[in-house]
Amino acid sequence: MLVVKCPVCGAEGDETDFHAGGQAHVRRPASHDPANISDAEQRDYLFIRHNPKGLHFERWRCDRGCGKWFHAARDTLTLEFKAFYGIAELPPRELMEQANGPWAEYFRQRLAAGTKP
Amino acid sequence: MSELHVESPLSHVAAPQGLAIGLREMTGRGMIDLRGGAGDAAFMAAAKDVLGAALPTQPRTSVSWGDIKALWLSIDQWLILCPGGRTAELLAALRTALAGIHSLAVDVSDMRAVIRLEGEGSREILMKGSSLDLIDGSYGPGAVRRMRFAEIAALLHVVDDNIFDVYVFRSYADYAWEFLLATAREPAKIRLFGRQAAPV
Repeated sequence: MLVVKCPVCGAEGDETDFHAGGQAHVRRPASHDPANISDAEQRDYLFIRHNPKGLHFERWRCDRGCGKWFHAARDTLTLEFKAFYGIAELPPRELMEQANGPWAEYFRQRLAAGTKP
Repeated sequence: MSELHVESPLSHVAAPQGLAIGLREMTGRGMIDLRGGAGDAAFMAAAKDVLGAALPTQPRTSVSWGDIKALWLSIDQWLILCPGGRTAELLAALRTALAGIHSLAVDVSDMRAVIRLEGEGSREILMKGSSLDLIDGSYGPGAVRRMRFAEIAALLHVVDDNIFDVYVFRSYADYAWEFLLATAREPAKIRLFGRQAAPV
């Protein structure tokens, strides 16, 4: 059983009060460069998800609470939540540095640009 | 044409017998769903003008003045409770005041059934259907919590220490009522829990 805490309303409850929304920080290529998007990029965006053993970034919804979406960083090995943060926010810096797979490059770019996700 | 016949969701149920707590449906309550940004000063001021007191901005709280209550549902949503007869007047006043402001006010009086639990042991009965720790001291009078209750969406309003209003969607009224009848029976009473002090 996972104990989730919504960063929007502060409600804490077990996972059945919430709704898991899959991988977070998935970049939609068509939003950024619609003219030069390949089939492979679009396929990866739609279907290919990262499945690491360890640190995972995911989206959750405070389903039976305030109804808002938020982000969570969770360890898939220990099931421990590392952080909860808003839907328009980036994770804490130390977690961004530990990120691997597609997130590592994404966070590096976001930090360099200094913009929101 | 026949007259419009309005009845409450649980008007057909009999008064329950043999329960450990008091259980009844609350009828005739006007409810207005009010949405708008808590950070929008114009919206908050307009709502305060009409309702007479500021909307609560603290999560899971409510404010009460006169015969009106405002329940915090989300950072941009409130449920306004008023006597059924005042709903139309209040709604019209809200819509006038909120004209031009990005907001929403809708009469949802018939959207939900309201079930009241009264008496010692109500918290334990509610805990049979939810994952909330209702006896840890954080759900005092005035607290509001949307929750998963008996697998369905419900809204819990702590009216007083041992008085609870449970709001469920109208189509779930019978189910919620039956669930409460079964779990609130005297033989099903839980004696394991005592009231605990709030964690320091």
